[in-house]
Amino acid sequence: MLLDRIYAFFEIVASLAADPFTLGILFGSVFLGIMFGAMPGLTSTLGVALLTALTYSMDTPMAMVCLLAIYVGGTYGGSYASILINIPGTAAAAATAMDGYPLALKGEGGRAIGLTTTSSAIGTAISMLFVVAISPIISSFALQFTSFEFFLLAFFGILISGTLTSPDLVVKGWISGFLGLFLACVGRDQLQFYPRFTFGISELDSGIEVVPVLIGAFGIPQIIEVLKTQVQIGKAKKLQKIVPEIGTVIRNLPATVRSAFIGVGIGAVPGIGEDIAGWVSYGTAKNTSKHPETFGKGEYKGVLASETANNACVGGAMIPLLNLGIPGSPPAAMLLGALMLHGVTPGPMITFEHPTFIMEVAAILLLASMAMWVVGMLLAKQVVKVLRIPTPLFMPIIGVLCIIGSYSLGLSIFNLYLMLPVGIICYFLTSMGYPIAPLVIGVILGPMADENIRRALMVSQGSFMPIFQRPVSLILFLIIVFTVLSQTAWYKRGLARVKEKLFRSKHSAE
Amino acid sequence: MMDKEKLRKADFFSGGLITLFGMFVIVKSLGMPMKDSWGGVQNVWYVSPAIFPLFVGTMLVLLGGMLIRTALKAIGFSGVATVIRYFLSSGFVSFLRSRETVRFYGIALLLFTFVFLMVPRVDFFLAAILFLLAFFCMFYLDRAELLLKLMLLYCGGMVALIFVLIVAESLATLLSHPADWFVLVFIVSFAGVVRAQISGDSQLGKKFRIALILALAAPFLIGMIFKYFLLVPMPFEGLIVEILDLIWYAEIWG
Repeated sequence: MLLDRIYAFFEIVASLAADPFTLGILFGSVFLGIMFGAMPGLTSTLGVALLTALTYSMDTPMAMVCLLAIYVGGTYGGSYASILINIPGTAAAAATAMDGYPLALKGEGGRAIGLTTTSSAIGTAISMLFVVAISPIISSFALQFTSFEFFLLAFFGILISGTLTSPDLVVKGWISGFLGLFLACVGRDQLQFYPRFTFGISELDSGIEVVPVLIGAFGIPQIIEVLKTQVQIGKAKKLQKIVPEIGTVIRNLPATVRSAFIGVGIGAVPGIGEDIAGWVSYGTAKNTSKHPETFGKGEYKGVLASETANNACVGGAMIPLLNLGIPGSPPAAMLLGALMLHGVTPGPMITFEHPTFIMEVAAILLLASMAMWVVGMLLAKQVVKVLRIPTPLFMPIIGVLCIIGSYSLGLSIFNLYLMLPVGIICYFLTSMGYPIAPLVIGVILGPMADENIRRALMVSQGSFMPIFQRPVSLILFLIIVFTVLSQTAWYKRGLARVKEKLFRSKHSAE
Repeated sequence: MMDKEKLRKADFFSGGLITLFGMFVIVKSLGMPMKDSWGGVQNVWYVSPAIFPLFVGTMLVLLGGMLIRTALKAIGFSGVATVIRYFLSSGFVSFLRSRETVRFYGIALLLFTFVFLMVPRVDFFLAAILFLLAFFCMFYLDRAELLLKLMLLYCGGMVALIFVLIVAESLATLLSHPADWFVLVFIVSFAGVVRAQISGDSQLGKKFRIALILALAAPFLIGMIFKYFLLVPMPFEGLIVEILDLIWYAEIWG
């Protein structure tokens, strides 16, 4: 069985690699992704969003090659700006700047980029292994889920995303998630076709189009923020030798693997992005180092930790996306929108409806990681040139792309009337410390939560008891309760007291 | 993002808005069929279309309330009073006139006029050229005094465009695509005004040339990819699309 899967996997890899057109698209998209990631202000999420419109007319496998390649390239590309100008190209590369820029100041920017390129490729490849290995287990497990479990899973996704992505109060993350759920309520409901919050506007009858809302939510705030604050970009440091010594790579291999595991783990949690993976991995590398004082002053392990983890997060985010239909990160949310446009509905049934799809995704991830390494090594010095382009020159063009992209999905001008106000509201929400990821996850998971809770209640004749009678629902329910309670003041006080007592008894024992 | 104290002050108001919004969702949901018949189907509460929005609305009210409580604990009622006093003071007026806020007005003005006024009514290529040219001149040339002047000029142009659109039907008997012709003339005038404003400054002159080239090239590149390669019809096809169609279909492909 396992051998069959491995054989099938390599067969797909070979068939993709044997097609020159696919390879061309793969390398082109990775390069575009790296450029996107490298330019401060542009993110891999925005890259995936804009390419969704361009790949609409392609067949699904080719569109997936494009979108996954730009996702992988964009996540890695952020390291260029972090290392060379101390401004993270993407939030995912924020932790990379901590040690990357000091290394560039020492004249070792080229080596740092070489190492991040290699570790990012290893991180993506390791995450691909998890996609192949874990997906069948999760998928067969998810087949046992009933409507209550799916409702609780969607609810948990929104709560955990709100809890972990909020830059300020956790309650703001939850509010953001529920605002997303509200947006998902707009339109005729799926069971009785009753118009909800449509205000007589016929375009709202079919509900809110997900992709234009996502483009607005991620693109417009970014454009406003970058142009409003007018960040002055410093001169990029020069690059020297890029190819890393094989000894350095082997010496750091255990740390790379550990960071990849962290990345996959965080990526698999719904709605948590590459930025958190980068920071957690960086923190772990620092805390476990024998010389933590060297971190922040140009430590290779710091750069490697954040870059491996953020790229490993890509594969991690694919696991819940493909098997449960729950995006693991904001770019994965965008990817889910793109998949739905292509008629692929990720979830437990994907292995039956599209038996080779997960293998194809894993194969694309593997090829994208290789393409990223090749492009990174060969074209790093050329990519660095994009850092010289002033942001006021490319941001308005991104604006035009957001607008024509939103319009082209459905050829509806109403999409634009929706996209822009959503974008402006998201800008204000961001500036007041509300995270956008939970809102997006809410928009995507809303229909799933709504349909499943009503279906579950229909089966149980209005009783909530099955939640406590089914083991998986009970576990999910308890996790949700714990997630909420863990944010209360008395829980935090209690935890602090327990820690204090443990600490004291340890000291007294010594 | 704002600093902590400002955030807490803002939280009081955003929490209030969220609570009110949650209440609105609940009220609207209560108007949906709960137990009565809809489309010939007798409802029971647990399959009602109201059940999920009611849950969402209730959570928004609760969470909004929690946010207000947290904000009040941090800043107290005196903090709220300070904010209200600030809104009535000259400090707020100077905030509204600050450089960053003016830049925000500029961005919002360009985005809103492009999406709501030009894209549905003016040839996409012309609309995008004007949008990009105005954006580049306001933010790439980056002179505070120029930004305000150009915003006023752009506003004037948009008001005139609205007027042209109102009388477009009567003008169409004299000239086809009157709004497109107006935008074309406005693009040339806008570029001329900017050139005159920066004359004598060679650095700005160089930047202006780059802006002009990019404002002309980018819409053609993007628009042609969508229109002729992805076969996406433009939101509004007017003067330029007609010319391009003529060249693309009649001349190039015979």
